[in-house]
Amino acid sequence: MLKNYLKIAWKVLLRRKFFTFISLFGISFTLMVLMVATSLMDHTFGPQMPERETDELLFVSMMREEHSEGYSSSGPASYYFLDRNVRTLQTPEQVSINSMFFQVNSYINNRKLALDIKYTDREFWDILDFEFLEGGAFGQQEVAGASRVAIINETTRNKYFGEGKAVGKTIEVDQVKYKVVGVVKDVPVLRLYSYADVWVPITLKSQDFNKPGYRGLYFATIKAQNPADIPNIKAEYAAMLHEIERQHPVKGTKLSSFPDTTLEGFARTLLGGGKKSGMGFLYVILAGLAFLFMLLPTINLVSINISRIMERSSEIGLRKAFGATSSNIIGQFIVENIFLTLLGGILGFALSAAVLKLINDSGVIVYANLGLNLRVFAWGLLLSLIFGLISGVYPAYRMSRLKAVEALKGGSK
Amino acid sequence: MIRHLFKLIWNRKRSNFLLITEIFFCFLVLFAVLSLIVYNVRNYNKPLGFKHENVWLLTMRPDTDSTALNRQTLEQILQRTKGFQEIESVSLTNSNAPFAFSQMTTNLTYGQKEIKTDQFEVQDDFAEVMQMQVSKGRWFGPADNGAHHKPIVISKALERQLFEGEDPIGKVLPRNDSSSYQVVGVVDHYRPSSEYTAEEPAFFNRIYLPENEDEFYGEILMRVKPGMGVEFEERMVKALSGIGKGWTMEVATLEKMRQNKEKVSKVPMIALAIICGFLILNVALGLFGVLWYNINRRNSEIGLRRAVGASSSQVYRQFIGEVLVLATFGLVLGVAFAIQFPLLQVFDVESTVYFIALGIAVGMIYLLAVGCAFYPSRQAAAIHPAIALHEE
Repeated sequence: MLKNYLKIAWKVLLRRKFFTFISLFGISFTLMVLMVATSLMDHTFGPQMPERETDELLFVSMMREEHSEGYSSSGPASYYFLDRNVRTLQTPEQVSINSMFFQVNSYINNRKLALDIKYTDREFWDILDFEFLEGGAFGQQEVAGASRVAIINETTRNKYFGEGKAVGKTIEVDQVKYKVVGVVKDVPVLRLYSYADVWVPITLKSQDFNKPGYRGLYFATIKAQNPADIPNIKAEYAAMLHEIERQHPVKGTKLSSFPDTTLEGFARTLLGGGKKSGMGFLYVILAGLAFLFMLLPTINLVSINISRIMERSSEIGLRKAFGATSSNIIGQFIVENIFLTLLGGILGFALSAAVLKLINDSGVIVYANLGLNLRVFAWGLLLSLIFGLISGVYPAYRMSRLKAVEALKGGSK
Repeated sequence: MIRHLFKLIWNRKRSNFLLITEIFFCFLVLFAVLSLIVYNVRNYNKPLGFKHENVWLLTMRPDTDSTALNRQTLEQILQRTKGFQEIESVSLTNSNAPFAFSQMTTNLTYGQKEIKTDQFEVQDDFAEVMQMQVSKGRWFGPADNGAHHKPIVISKALERQLFEGEDPIGKVLPRNDSSSYQVVGVVDHYRPSSEYTAEEPAFFNRIYLPENEDEFYGEILMRVKPGMGVEFEERMVKALSGIGKGWTMEVATLEKMRQNKEKVSKVPMIALAIICGFLILNVALGLFGVLWYNINRRNSEIGLRRAVGASSSQVYRQFIGEVLVLATFGLVLGVAFAIQFPLLQVFDVESTVYFIALGIAVGMIYLLAVGCAFYPSRQAAAIHPAIALHEE
């Protein structure tokens, strides 16, 4: 039965090529835009190098301090706070403290390289999965001794040293000389908590270590033993923060800071005002945007589909005369439409691959490496099916209501 | 006649409903995207109020907390920059330098009025560095040392909102409980945030180092001689790093910062325009297909009209007219919706922007409708009555 439907659908597609072109153009472009958006989301929040085990990772990126007199400040947390209170948490497997990235300059052969530098501890390299092209991470000894060693990314190596090996050579950044111990693949700038061009030991910033206060320039990256431990870590973190608030000498001081996944962190900063979760709101907004965007192409497809009903009225009349029920016909038309949208989906997939390459090459997003993978493909498939169903149901309903006699006569109002 | 037309459309509401909704949504999308583009283009064409070519920004981050020590080093660095032949003039500034991603606002009160305004803290030479044009009064300078009130220069946008036609020069505004500002000059424009943002009220507050003793300023704006490149930059940073040992220093040209800012405004605009263009193309193709199909189905009606004496141009006009009426229905709905934006002032945007966008959107939709109906209508007009009736 299904095979017959598909055969008919294929013949119908070939019959009126112009209409087929319009339908496919609309479907494939709509799905392309949606897939590019999905890929961008996946690239920012999904498991990608170096944050591969996203379901075991949490990031502490914000600390909001509110005093009873109405004064408040927010931003990254201080080393002092993270070192004393977050590193000592019991539930996580490992905790890393690292600075945000700072832009600094490096000069070579009358050229200037604007580099982003990040100060990290040893755990940073254990928790995250960087892809080393040569050399390796700096060890506990180098961190403890505040050695001037650096790990650089591929682009920096090529710009500074040319194509050759860099490990063992010296790079001068912000008037300080570092010995290169490792080279890693570029990390996209959208990975805010791991991204940098140059990573150096955090102990080189030891003047920050004993500054009391809650606000500073540091992030914490927390790794759980397994995904099921995540709620426990969040609970322990909240209890720890509550205890600090209770012991705070100034009564009425309110601290808000949360270990979040990248997506949760994004939603909290943007939509939750840094305090509430904002995840529900984010999903509503995303679904709303996708719906609004799909609305016009869907209406368009529906109106084209309805026009095409008339072409097929004699076929429908015949099937009805031989005893097909309305639901048979609805079923057939929906299958046909899903077939069409899946075809458009494949085209859209090819188109989005081209567009993603264009975005990668344009350098709009620094070190972007947007690509299609199974997750994006699955989303694309799901979106195609939804799109096919929505745009197929109403025309199929109209179609099934044709009276056999009228349909055979070849007309309907 | 109008009632008759309305009745005609109403009778075919089922088949026309989808086309009207399509035009309605298409109009809304166009209106939204055009509003954004018109807003940005109008801003882009307004003067910035300063010249950013050959201006560099040096950002410094000290490595200690001691303000007294940092201030000492800062003053030495400032002295050293003035010593370079290649640098024409320098001025300290807060982090809200032109094209930076940082903003500082405060409230100013005059009489009963309170206005939220951008505040820029700069030195006397800032006017020279950024080549500001003072249209009324003067820029602050050494003459203000020891003045009773803190001298400020305001922008025309602030003058309009705060003083409403009164002469602002010499007016005294409260700063805090113990001190006041005095307006000494007015500049025509100052729009530092980006070329695409609207002008906000602004005023310049004077940095006079001997008086602001416990303040630290981490940024220096400097106008260099034309043609200075990385070679000089490296030499300068080396020299200054020798003074501020352990400080992090970073130099950016304002031109580079402008490009960054431009990217932030332009990339979403281009992405939106492409998506909007695709949606419209999609709708145009769909409209064309549906019209073509519908008109082809009305062969017998056309044949009959031709047979009783209608000329082919009359048939042609009938179909174009029908499409225009259809488009008008969608547009009336759409305009009724869109007009709420200027009426309710949902966003803080001039009404003119909306009206220009509205006009262009309406024009484009009509053009789209006529363009899509053009070919099918011509085909319909070319139908020979004898053949059409024969087919029937």
